[in-house]
Amino acid sequence: MAQSVSEESPRQVANKSRKSALLKAIRMALNIESAAVRHNTQTFNRNKYRAVAGLADYDALKDLARATKERAIENLPALVHQLKEVVEARGGNVFLAANGEEANNYIRDVCTRHNAKLVVKGKSMTSEETRLNHVLQDAGIEVAESDLAEFILQVADEQPSHVIAPAIHYSRERITALFKRKFNTDLPLDTGEDLTKFAREILREKFLRADVGISGANMIVAETGTLMLVESEGNIRMSTMLPSVHIAIAGVEKIIPTREDLVPFIELLAASGTGQPLTSYTSLLSPPLKVPPIAFYGRTAGPREFHLVLLDNGRLKMRDDPVFRETLYCIRCSACLNSCANFQTVGGHAFGGETYSGGIGGSWEAGTGKLENARFNELCTGCSRCINNCPVRIDIPWLNDNLRERLSKAEPPSLTTTAFGLATGTQGDDTKASLQKQFFANYHVFAKFGTMLAPIVNRVSSSGFGRSMMEKVVGLDHRRELQPFPEKAWEELYRRRDHAAHEAKHGRAVVFADVFTNYGSPERGMATVEILESAGVDVVLSRVISGGRAALSQGMITTAKHQARETAEELERYIDDGREVVVVEPSELALFRLDYRHLLDHERFSRLRRHSFEAVEYLWRVLQENKLDPRQFYRAELAPFGKRIFYHSHCQQKTTHSDTPTQELLRAIGFDVATSQVECCGMAGSFGYKTEYYDLSMAVGQDLFAQVKAADQGGERQVVVSGTSCHEQVHDGMHRSVLHPMEVLSACRVPANGTHPTHV
Amino acid sequence: MNPEVLDRFETAAKAAAASIERIPRTAGALAAALSLATSGAKRVLFADPEDLPADLFAPFKQAVNPITTPTEEELRCSEIGVTEAFAGVARTGSVCISVNHGMNGPMSLLAPYQIAVLAAENLVPSPRDLFSSQYLDGKGLTRDFVFVTGPSATADMGPLVRGVHGPHKLHIILLT
Repeated sequence: MAQSVSEESPRQVANKSRKSALLKAIRMALNIESAAVRHNTQTFNRNKYRAVAGLADYDALKDLARATKERAIENLPALVHQLKEVVEARGGNVFLAANGEEANNYIRDVCTRHNAKLVVKGKSMTSEETRLNHVLQDAGIEVAESDLAEFILQVADEQPSHVIAPAIHYSRERITALFKRKFNTDLPLDTGEDLTKFAREILREKFLRADVGISGANMIVAETGTLMLVESEGNIRMSTMLPSVHIAIAGVEKIIPTREDLVPFIELLAASGTGQPLTSYTSLLSPPLKVPPIAFYGRTAGPREFHLVLLDNGRLKMRDDPVFRETLYCIRCSACLNSCANFQTVGGHAFGGETYSGGIGGSWEAGTGKLENARFNELCTGCSRCINNCPVRIDIPWLNDNLRERLSKAEPPSLTTTAFGLATGTQGDDTKASLQKQFFANYHVFAKFGTMLAPIVNRVSSSGFGRSMMEKVVGLDHRRELQPFPEKAWEELYRRRDHAAHEAKHGRAVVFADVFTNYGSPERGMATVEILESAGVDVVLSRVISGGRAALSQGMITTAKHQARETAEELERYIDDGREVVVVEPSELALFRLDYRHLLDHERFSRLRRHSFEAVEYLWRVLQENKLDPRQFYRAELAPFGKRIFYHSHCQQKTTHSDTPTQELLRAIGFDVATSQVECCGMAGSFGYKTEYYDLSMAVGQDLFAQVKAADQGGERQVVVSGTSCHEQVHDGMHRSVLHPMEVLSACRVPANGTHPTHV
Repeated sequence: MNPEVLDRFETAAKAAAASIERIPRTAGALAAALSLATSGAKRVLFADPEDLPADLFAPFKQAVNPITTPTEEELRCSEIGVTEAFAGVARTGSVCISVNHGMNGPMSLLAPYQIAVLAAENLVPSPRDLFSSQYLDGKGLTRDFVFVTGPSATADMGPLVRGVHGPHKLHIILLT
């Protein structure tokens, strides 16, 4: 980055209840923290995929983990009661703290009762949430953070940027500089080993001399009072075993019924987080321990004492919330952070609040603090890559859609947004959403108008004045190249097409005329129709209709529900008639397969899901079902751009597992296909158009652009993408021709010679 | 024990940066292996076993004379800690050490070099099997223990570093 380094420190931009702090934080993170965050999160993410591939029953384990948490949260009051009795019967103490202040005061009082001078802490995000350290320090107690990441943060006075690796934003070089400055030392600290040894020697003495050890807990078993503690450094084992007084602080949602219930979490937590089968140490402790403590350095060691502080701080209220209850199933593994392209690029100081970060972080911040603290959830683009990676199957984008809706509704009523909403078809209370949100949500209204008046609109929207007005009023970044509106939309091209007589005996389909393809890239829509018809499919085009994707992504859920019902009604007519639904735009298919479960009743949703296919996925199925050789229809050697292709599938296409057929078909007809290894291109629908996120969007795109260039070794490849917004991103970032897979098939179609396709 | 399970355990333990050797389950072989592994160390800590027979370790104790009831200073300043592991996990290469028994806890944690003695018949396929009454008489359901998977490690200081607060090296002696 050529820009000068921002003066904003992570501490100053931690609270993002104002949007200006979010924008400052993004700048700060892109300038200072991005390289380390990107390297570390992407390493976790790669290892995660490898680790879960080693779990033969990964999906079943996720189902079990989900079911276990659902059951535990349902029975939470009884489990709290049981746990309290069990721990007390073992000689420990349990305190249920209504909020952070109660928790901190209780812990401080235990420490002062023991005349504690030094407290050693294992890593605990819950104590970060309550700001425990300040309270202990104000009481004159020294607090030694012993997890090395927490140690760095304590030295730097920063808040965590990641739930399992709180100092993930620090490179080795920055740690060296920090330690040299703060410890005023000339010791060589130029390697990870040097730095670790330096910290270890300071902290070993703290462990041996500490009066009280404080830990968190990853899980707590109600039946036995067992804590599960997951770590790699050994500091949690030291903190819980060496001092005679042990205090554990944990959110009340961590309780599960039995030891057997630990199974899915033992198997999934480390694999989903760091991507290891297990971390170095997974401890199961049922304190107070029976073995006596050791009195180091001739001190006296009293009998062992144990306090379990269970923190409510909004969690029981979340439990009563039909949407946000799901947050309590979170086991804080960090898979949603590491698989998120935006998080990989800026980390938790931008994509996070004061304690929690990433996709799930908004729900935690809102639930344990104030709703406004979740404003950073704007950085969730809804790309959906976290959904399959979450070991408890939390639909994180849906939680963020709901946070956005609640944040908009908390705004005072505005005449401008209401009028704008009424004019554009926004439903109900969604008219409280900002002009920018409503503009992108109602894209179809503007696109229809833009296509009708294409010559005029295109001239205005390509003029400097037009662009600057668009940036001012609706926040559409002037640096984004806007594709001109076509003079003829897909629906019109379809009506006027030369309908060659094809024998339609291989399938019957309705192609969904989504608004993005209809107004944005009718050529992709037409290629789809032609390819399907030439493969012997009887095709009709649906009415052009907004499926609700745009509205949903802006948190305008009432509008999205309205559009979902309209879309379902339109498509059901065709399903009743025996047609399958074929979708060109992957984000629309993801609606039918994923999001409509929240927007439609279950029966409607599952019927539409069963009958919906991505365009190439459907074609591949038709070819296989009818035992047709794809090379009869398409041959890579006929493609004018050659046989080398770079294929980038759309993020939501990966999540709905509808990307592999495209790769299989392209390979089957002779293409040499390289594929992208990124989670998302960075455009993510409207996200990359927004003026405040343009820089971030382009920074995310760099990984994809670099992979395309790397795959060009030995000759430039034709870039092929399935998603509309991925297309724009690659086009803008690389200035290269980009094709949809259906356009590729069009370009390499074997000329019809009057003979029927051969069956193989 | 199925040799394929032993192989899987060995591969996984090595992947987690532990070293491992297989020896016959005799007191003599164990004494020889431990003598070699601890040779040159001035102070070796040894926690008397909870599950394996004590006489299996008798020749080792005679030969090496490890510290079994250490002073606090000996506990702080020893080079090697030897304990038994009551279970091992084939898929992850972990050894399970009971921490609420005798000196197992501090001895498996404070010295920079950790040695764990594991009997092959106590290997289970996956971590989940520790939570089943079908394996190890259900010991994993009732005990306080730690799954130890390789030496202590961190990535917090930039690159991966092995050897943080806990042991820097883990050596597993597998009795077959």
